[in-house]
Amino acid sequence: MRALLYLHDTVQLQCEYAEMRKPLVLAICAAGFLAAQQPQNYDNVKVNILPVQGNVYMLIGAGGNTTLQVGKDGVLLVDTQYAPMAPKIMAAIRTLSEMPIKYIINTHMHGDHTGGNGALVKLGGGGGMPRIIANDHVLNRMTAPPANGQAAIPDSDWPNDEYFGNSKDFFFNNEAIVVYHMPNAHTDGDSIVFFRRSDVISTGDIFTPEHYPIIDLQRGGTVQGIIDALNRILDLTVPAKYQEGGTYVIPGHGRLCEEADVVEYRDMVTIIRDRIADLIKKGRTVEQVKAARPTLDYDTQYGATTGIWTTDMFVDAVYRNLSEKK
Amino acid sequence: MMVENACTVGGLAAGAFQTGKMRRRQCRQRYMLTALLVILPAGLMAQARGGPPAPPKAPREAAPVDLTGYWVSVVTEDWRWRMVTPIRGDFAGVPLNPAARKIGEAWDPTKDEAAGEQCRAYGAPALMRIPGRVHITWQDDKTLKVETDAGTQTRLFHFNGKAPQGEKPSWQGYSAANWERPVRGEGLPLAGLGAVREGTRGRSLEVVTTGLRPGYLRKNGAPYSANTVVNEFYDLSKEPNGDTWFHVTTIVRDPQYLEEPFVTSTDFRKQPDAAGWAPSQCTAR
Amino acid sequence: MKSLLLAVGLLICTLPAFAQVDFSGEWAPLYHEDGPERLPGPELGDYTELPINDAARLRADSYDADRISVVPEYQCRPHGADYSMRGLGNLRISREYDEPTQKLVAFHTHLLAWDSERTIYMDGRPHPPDYADHTWQGFSTGVWEGNMLTITTTHLKTNYIRRNGVPRSDKATLIEHWYRHGDYLTVVTVITDPVFLTEPLVRSDNWFLDPGQAIGVFGCEYAPEVPRPTGTVPHHLPGTNPFLTEFANWYGLPPEATRGGAETLYPEYRTKMGKYNPPAKCERYCTCTTLFNCNVSTPK
Repeated sequence: MRALLYLHDTVQLQCEYAEMRKPLVLAICAAGFLAAQQPQNYDNVKVNILPVQGNVYMLIGAGGNTTLQVGKDGVLLVDTQYAPMAPKIMAAIRTLSEMPIKYIINTHMHGDHTGGNGALVKLGGGGGMPRIIANDHVLNRMTAPPANGQAAIPDSDWPNDEYFGNSKDFFFNNEAIVVYHMPNAHTDGDSIVFFRRSDVISTGDIFTPEHYPIIDLQRGGTVQGIIDALNRILDLTVPAKYQEGGTYVIPGHGRLCEEADVVEYRDMVTIIRDRIADLIKKGRTVEQVKAARPTLDYDTQYGATTGIWTTDMFVDAVYRNLSEKK
Repeated sequence: MMVENACTVGGLAAGAFQTGKMRRRQCRQRYMLTALLVILPAGLMAQARGGPPAPPKAPREAAPVDLTGYWVSVVTEDWRWRMVTPIRGDFAGVPLNPAARKIGEAWDPTKDEAAGEQCRAYGAPALMRIPGRVHITWQDDKTLKVETDAGTQTRLFHFNGKAPQGEKPSWQGYSAANWERPVRGEGLPLAGLGAVREGTRGRSLEVVTTGLRPGYLRKNGAPYSANTVVNEFYDLSKEPNGDTWFHVTTIVRDPQYLEEPFVTSTDFRKQPDAAGWAPSQCTAR
Repeated sequence: MKSLLLAVGLLICTLPAFAQVDFSGEWAPLYHEDGPERLPGPELGDYTELPINDAARLRADSYDADRISVVPEYQCRPHGADYSMRGLGNLRISREYDEPTQKLVAFHTHLLAWDSERTIYMDGRPHPPDYADHTWQGFSTGVWEGNMLTITTTHLKTNYIRRNGVPRSDKATLIEHWYRHGDYLTVVTVITDPVFLTEPLVRSDNWFLDPGQAIGVFGCEYAPEVPRPTGTVPHHLPGTNPFLTEFANWYGLPPEATRGGAETLYPEYRTKMGKYNPPAKCERYCTCTTLFNCNVSTPK
């Protein structure tokens, strides 16, 4: 269900890959994209609340995970899933806080993380205008003229407090919130959010322990950027004892994690990068690389043969990214 | 839930309106009656409820678990000491004393073959470690028969049995079996006050084997002597995927050759039929 | 008298009930099985007795033990609940009771290695949802089956089946069966891993009661000792690990047999196994029952 529900942007990704390849695939992608534009049935999607640590909670529903911080100053959200999920997300928030939403931070521009911005502002903004924080690349992407016959992203979903440079920080609900820009990772506009006192990091789609990282090449994503971002996350995480507890990590999709889980994921991306780089050095074509199955020992855990982000697409993206002339 | 009666601290406080003498007499009565009820053996209580105790069931009928059927050993431990004949002198894991080690290092399979003693490694202390299939059946109501295709061996587990006097030692010795009993029996504890027993019925088969011919704990000549006693416990488990296993914990005690009891546990999975049953002769190599 | 009998009846009904078997105590592991693998450690390329698939083989072939020293996050990484019960350290088991009802709430285990602690809930509580955190020891619940305790553990972090690189994923579940026979504890572990195993891995290990045992503090603090660029992940590219044939060569085993796999676990494999060519006599780990007598070279 989750896979279907973020079809909106990822079918777009598929189509963009297809453009590099075959017209027939393009036609299929376009049809798929149109299907994705049809309203999805959210009636059976439940929003689950998982207390994480300190003031921070994880909301699991449709689209990406939402991080929630509550306190005397108000409500802060990291990522907002889809607009139709907003009432359920709001209901979940209201079990923990009656305060208005003061901040929304978007980890990147994809619709499964920004689609609920406007709806939640309307439902939970308390009549005020919450700050919607994101890296400036996110605003650039969201305001750019749409391509491929897609609808424009409504301006109610746009960030209104974009930041430039490496980071942005502020104090809210008795703790420092630091938003770090992770350049050219999943996209060029990625941010991670560090709740310093609660000791929780929201990573967006840089870290998705249930599937291979989506490298959105068209929007500035790179495999090295993902690895650098994961290493940066590991610089920030501190386990309590023997690689457990301490800093908790809320991934873009998937279960609650800790440092050791990020290490596994970092290792996976690094090793696959090295394997593909080695094959490129040996002059292999992308088809030969796929046939060599450089991801074999990770496929059951992270891969897929169908759906919105397949193993082949991942290998393809890494290959193309590493083969680009610098 | 705390039970308040006149003889607890709370009760005594609550019953303060009674005279001390009355309260003490009441408490004595209550404690005597309680003690009487608690120390009565369970059998007597059953008698008091009516009827003589039922005769004990035959071991076959009383079996708490069903060990019959065909089973295959799945070698997930000690692979290189079981699936192949271990290297001469490789006794890793076996707590042999120096005398035993010396004997083991002098192992000569040719001599064993010449003496017709190819089955030295197939005796009761080691048989269940040899990869193969096992067929367990009831020979009668008091005897469980365990046949192995490896070495074509047969073991008989005699329930409530006692080794007959003067019996010649053999590779399989004499095995006395019982369904493992709890240490202090069943029913109410015979001593103390304030406890019951719950679920004391075991599920394990306990087997004690004596009367063994000297043999090998491993095929490469790690020796055991005629003084060896083997205790085994057979336990059954059923897994969520539908598989049934038995696990046999084997404790080999040999004061002559072992520095401490040699303890292994071997796992067998149930098969629906005799597929793969392949009787083979003992081999010395 | 009637009220007396009623009071006695009530008293007996509220008497505490003992659990089926008491596993509590100090337990020392026995190494009479797989001693060299469990004590000094498994040899590179030894995948025998494991029902692994090609994915597990590739992962294990890629493993470089440098990772433990070079990558700080690995230096103090503990064993998972499943590997811990291979007896890689002494064990203490204790019980926890609910004071008002005297009902058994949980068993607790404490293992020497990494001071690992686990709670095995006996009160019927459900396991956490899929999206909850995973830990090294996982989340365990237990039920009695006669004198056997059956424990189900989920929510395990990614770890290993053997510490030479053979992996165990975080999708695995662990079932244990604990039996106590006198002063011996047998722990059967059933690891089901849809990612790396083609069938459940069933093993059993033994412990003996050692009341005089006093488990100390393990103590581990990570410290970068070998300067390397950030994000270095030591590994062997496919087909380049030079150590994978050592194990087969040292013990004269057919190389394909050392690659593991379900087929190699069954008795009939002996008829199809390639040529076994053992050395004339033992040269590695010829005695091995404790940490102190498990030496690579044969003692004189």
